[in-house]
Amino acid sequence: MESPLHHFEVHNIIPIHIAGLDLSINNAVVAMWVGLAVIAGSFMLVVNRGVSPIPGKLQSILEISLEFIRSMVYEFIGEDEGKKYVPFIASLFLFILACNLIGLIPGSYTITSQLAVTGAFAVGIFLLTLVIGFGKHGMHFLGILVPPGVPKIMIPLMVPIEVISMLARPISLAVRLFANMTAGHTVLAVLFGLAMTGPLWLGWLPFGFTIVINGLEIAIAFIQAYIFTTLTCVYIGDVIKLH
Amino acid sequence: MRENNGFRQGMQIAFRLGTELTVATFIGAMLGYGVDQFFGIRPWGLAVGVVLGGAAGSLNVYRAAMLLSAEEFNEDDDNNS
Repeated sequence: MESPLHHFEVHNIIPIHIAGLDLSINNAVVAMWVGLAVIAGSFMLVVNRGVSPIPGKLQSILEISLEFIRSMVYEFIGEDEGKKYVPFIASLFLFILACNLIGLIPGSYTITSQLAVTGAFAVGIFLLTLVIGFGKHGMHFLGILVPPGVPKIMIPLMVPIEVISMLARPISLAVRLFANMTAGHTVLAVLFGLAMTGPLWLGWLPFGFTIVINGLEIAIAFIQAYIFTTLTCVYIGDVIKLH
Repeated sequence: MRENNGFRQGMQIAFRLGTELTVATFIGAMLGYGVDQFFGIRPWGLAVGVVLGGAAGSLNVYRAAMLLSAEEFNEDDDNNS
């Protein structure tokens, strides 16, 4: 029987090796391109058709999702400061959501189940918060390491704790998305393996469960994309407001 | 987009808080281990690191929970008004 982790494997489709670097086009890269193409394509389609005052189906969906993201950004970052970050947060949300949903199509690849991908997002966001913080507050930004209202005697204890909690943020961000996606897809693969190996009079039961869990996974795809972007907003908002 | 299924939402919150605590403790332990390797003061760095990491994790969980309950407050206000 096939391993339930088989569908997380990365296969090279077009091998490209430049100066010892493996830049091959593999199935993960293709899945990422498809995600980008779906998002960019649907927006382009709406704009090319002409944005009408009476929105069609696709335009309504895109407008609602953008409104939703914008209100989320304004809530956590603030309306004046948040405006700059709406495009970034919106692309992050839509890309993660598209990748999560594409992964649910049988036979495709879930790009967000790779720790390398979610980790790259999280580390990028962490560096972005540092750049925003130092750019906005200069050296005062280090004050984020001392929570307000802490007695002076506690500062040597609080600073290491705050450093650890800062460093934990990107890792928990990356691990959460990766673990949710990997766990869900492994469960699906195990159940499907059971359905395939069992006799027909027994096999329908795990197969029925795969359908139910697929529905659950669609909800998780939305929730995880939402949580990832909410926390990004919270982290950006934290460094802007500095307590 | 907001899921009305209370159980599922609760699971998500639990999972989120769980990762916060685990990851922070792990980071603290790793930093402590690194300090041990660097200064050669085994096992004190690891011991202190785990405790500080646990404290940082609790702090993160507390903050996340405060954020969640604040959201809930807002929703209640919206419902009442």
